[in-house]
Amino acid sequence: MRGPRGRHCVVGIGETEYSRASGRSTRALGVEAVRLAILDAGLAPRDVDGMLSYHSNDSAPSIAIAADLGIRLNTYADVIGGGSSTEGLVAYAMGLLEIGLCRAVVIFRAMNGYSEFRIGGTGARAATPVRGVDLADRPYGMLSAGQRFAPVFMRHMYEYGTTSAQVAHVKAAHSRHASANPKALAKTPVTVEEVLASRWIVKPLHLLDCCLETDNATALVVTSADRARDGRHPPVRVLAAAGRVNRDRPDYFYQGRFTTVAGVHARELVFPAAGIGPEDVDVTGAYDAFTFTAMLQLEAFGFCEPGAGGQYVSSGAIELGGRRPNNTSGGHLCEGYTHGMSMVIENVRQLRGTVDDYCPRADQGVHTYDYRPGRCRQVRDPRIAMNMGWASPATGSALILGSHRV
Amino acid sequence: MSDPVVYRGMTLIVPETDSEWHGYFQAAREGRLVVRRCADCRRLRYPPGAGCPWCASLAWTWVPVSGRGTIHTYVIVVQAVQPGFRDWAPYPVVVVELDEQRGEPAPDDGIRLVTNLVTPEFQPESEERVAIGARVEACFQSIGPDLALPQFRLTGEPPAAPLWRLPG
Repeated sequence: MRGPRGRHCVVGIGETEYSRASGRSTRALGVEAVRLAILDAGLAPRDVDGMLSYHSNDSAPSIAIAADLGIRLNTYADVIGGGSSTEGLVAYAMGLLEIGLCRAVVIFRAMNGYSEFRIGGTGARAATPVRGVDLADRPYGMLSAGQRFAPVFMRHMYEYGTTSAQVAHVKAAHSRHASANPKALAKTPVTVEEVLASRWIVKPLHLLDCCLETDNATALVVTSADRARDGRHPPVRVLAAAGRVNRDRPDYFYQGRFTTVAGVHARELVFPAAGIGPEDVDVTGAYDAFTFTAMLQLEAFGFCEPGAGGQYVSSGAIELGGRRPNNTSGGHLCEGYTHGMSMVIENVRQLRGTVDDYCPRADQGVHTYDYRPGRCRQVRDPRIAMNMGWASPATGSALILGSHRV
Repeated sequence: MSDPVVYRGMTLIVPETDSEWHGYFQAAREGRLVVRRCADCRRLRYPPGAGCPWCASLAWTWVPVSGRGTIHTYVIVVQAVQPGFRDWAPYPVVVVELDEQRGEPAPDDGIRLVTNLVTPEFQPESEERVAIGARVEACFQSIGPDLALPQFRLTGEPPAAPLWRLPG
């Protein structure tokens, strides 16, 4: 399979503050992130002619964002979806560019995920009537993402002997990464023991196995490689993208191997298209809605053998200074929950070499590579980064990015 | 059953026009667990869907099943998200694999349901009695004048394999 490898680039990234009380609307948040991404790309709002967003009936629409910035669109779409959407919308943007309908496409996600529509399900989400597909689980007190995903982790423990302590290493690693991220909500490093000692939310998940509900907006600009040459930063090339890939059936409880997640199918799409394998990837962004989701993703995409995810994430490989650091910003567990976009933004920064850490000359792109807490989080000369999105065990996505040197 | 029923603070809506769920809950009201069987390839399926996942046929019938099965996986909800479940926590949510059609058509396939594990009094079963591999059977919890919820309880049968619980 030969995809449009390298013909499209991520040229702009934008994000608001990560907070738990934004004090403003998702429209205001979205406008700020989109504006920052356009400026980061070295473009003006009138240069953008496509807009894509995803939401859970909790956000502002593209037409509002575009109106506020004076953008006239050739097309837009606001799609309902979760954490496998970022990578999927990058693929859709590539299609819009390929057919010539758009010249530059903005992708955004805006949410007051803590102060307004809590992602964890309490409040408004728990109050909605139960009908249709929800009749299969909500009457049994199964609503939140943790409650719905954790049965897969439990079965993984049963089948492979995976332990809570192994996946707690994901939180410990990401917390050290977040300590070098001025924007992170939770900057204090935590230990495996502290994860295991935190209170139970839904067994087998402790409080510190769960990500941080957050108010924020995030955005990307995708354009063609030709136009990317004029950008403010070295272009980051899209080597392959696939989004919203399903496993055997998208309602994962009911058929097939319970511990199989959709990444096993996404990987068959993106690695051949990019012309690389897992061993070529320098930095990963495996979706950490929970500690174990990052583990399941890394395993499904072949960074370790099936069943060995617990060993992989507790081996040191995923830490800064390790073989293949994961979520160097601190990810959803520590930087803040964005439904996936922030992990792509961080990998774009990594490939540009412009991570915003505490290095004295970080603003000039000079890093110390001192990975003790609270210092540097720039990986040394990464060439290839990979994001692995997760909406559920049954729906996933992948995005492989290359630096301008690839 | 066409009228909404409030159960644990949630409004459950199963109108006659819900062509997937209405018949399922009608059978539960009569104390029967039913699943759909494809009228063409004869395979069973749950949850009730409009088409057959294996042959895409739209023809189906409801068929009763034994209601007996094994706990495939589970969680224990300690912090309830829905306010109406707070007085139930900690409560188990289990995935039950029915005895019918186990390992068919593929070795890892089965007919599975999400349910609570309850005592004979329809209270949440205590955590130490919840285990992967435990044998269970369906029972029916009346939650309104015209609506019953399928639930599962332990049978006490010897398990086919050693029971497994979350360590610690």
